[in-house]
Amino acid sequence: MNNILVDVKNLNLIYQSVKSETQALEDISFQIKNQEFVSIVGPSGCGKTTILSLISGLIKATSGEIKVLGKTPNPKDDLCGYMFQRDNLLPWRTIEKNIYFGLEIKKQKTGERKEYALSLAEKYGLKDFLKKHPSELSGGMRQRVALIRTLSLKPELLLLDEPFSALDYQTRLELCDHVFEIIKSEKKTAILVTHDIYEAISMSDRIIVLSARPGKIKAIHETGFKRSSTPFDRRKTTKAKKLFDIIWQEIQNEKNDEIK
Amino acid sequence: MKKMMKLSKSHYDYLKKYRTKKILILLTQISILALFLILWEVLTKYEIISSFFFSSPSKIMDTIVELFRSGELIYHSQITLSETLIGFAIATGIGFLVAFILWYSDFLRRVAEPYLVVLNSLPKIALGPIIIIWFGAGSKAIIFMCILIVIIVTIMNILNSFTSCDKQLITLAKSLGANKFQIFFKLILPNSLKDIVATLKINVGLSWIGAIMGEYLVSKAGLGYLLIYGGQVFDLNLVMTATVILCILASVMYFAVALFEKLMNKFYNN
Repeated sequence: MNNILVDVKNLNLIYQSVKSETQALEDISFQIKNQEFVSIVGPSGCGKTTILSLISGLIKATSGEIKVLGKTPNPKDDLCGYMFQRDNLLPWRTIEKNIYFGLEIKKQKTGERKEYALSLAEKYGLKDFLKKHPSELSGGMRQRVALIRTLSLKPELLLLDEPFSALDYQTRLELCDHVFEIIKSEKKTAILVTHDIYEAISMSDRIIVLSARPGKIKAIHETGFKRSSTPFDRRKTTKAKKLFDIIWQEIQNEKNDEIK
Repeated sequence: MKKMMKLSKSHYDYLKKYRTKKILILLTQISILALFLILWEVLTKYEIISSFFFSSPSKIMDTIVELFRSGELIYHSQITLSETLIGFAIATGIGFLVAFILWYSDFLRRVAEPYLVVLNSLPKIALGPIIIIWFGAGSKAIIFMCILIVIIVTIMNILNSFTSCDKQLITLAKSLGANKFQIFFKLILPNSLKDIVATLKINVGLSWIGAIMGEYLVSKAGLGYLLIYGGQVFDLNLVMTATVILCILASVMYFAVALFEKLMNKFYNN
């Protein structure tokens, strides 16, 4: 069982606020293998992002257990790298300094680490932009900088929280391929949260479908694509189309249930 | 040098136009001042308006020279300037520190909120009698008045800026395991730099108000004292002179802050 990177067991989360308490997640259990790419989809407000926050250790579960490489997650460890919908680059820093931001926080800004970060930047086409400021870069480029900032910390697990949804369609498809490529070649495990079903299908090995709030696991689908195929190619297959119809129906049913 | 060589015709024209406009603005500014002074001088010289009530540029110059020779100019300016600078420094420093503490502790911030609101809306001059009784009729009271006027605005402005930092940036830092000090020095502070400089600029004005107001209340010396004294003996030359000196000193202090702003920008853009 050494191959299991993430182990989530009977996870429950109840949000407290002055007005009420809300059950956000109910009895979530799943496992993720090393180098697997898993997506989480579901109707909006079902707690997709919350699962990532829990796995990264940013928030604590009400009950249940999460282990990443056998350890309870803590943001201070280097196990998880979190990537957000927005690139969150600091506007007053150059691209290079932005890439070092994580290293600075973790107090790992050593020559070797900086070199590694720079080699990533070079490898993924950002070499000429290192001295520029974020405002001078396009949305897709900025998101790539954010990915390199995350990767420079050598996380075992990447948590991707709708990282493409703020981009225009063209850029989104391009960056999808790019990020997929990067994650595969750096041999990372990834969890992607998205509301774009095709995006989930084209990038993942497995897809977890959540129900409406409180989020429960409704279904888990294996995509069964060849590892070598790109997300762009996968989108065009009939297999993707069939899977899309199934997942679409599942989410649609959830929404209808909610209305009833 | 590279840039110079690469200048295209259209860019050259643009730059030329830009420079011409800049010079035009400066010239207009100077002309307005000159026209104002000349008009003032002529009108009072021919007694179209009374030089007794309005003084005149030449009389003000005479008074400045006279005060300078007797050493009074330096003496009074230096007293007010030092009160202002001390008040400015203490209020800005403590204000910044308090803002940091209130940013750090959500509990303290919520406790302090109503107090800040009341202290902010209170006209500080109303505390004049209390200040005189506590600190005596001297520089201490004036500096305290100055601090009182500057500090509340400093706390409120800077705290407001600290708490307005993008929540998502903070989440990013937290996801990297940042502690509160790291969040402060790597995110909050650079993010607030512009607002801090803006607060400093406001504080320059406020600390002069504080010092002069303090001197109105208790002083035996200083530019505020000259103003009050001049007013009481109907020496408009003295009043106008003190006002002009005040203008000059306040501008110098403002430009010092502007210079500081430039240095900070350079530091952070590297």
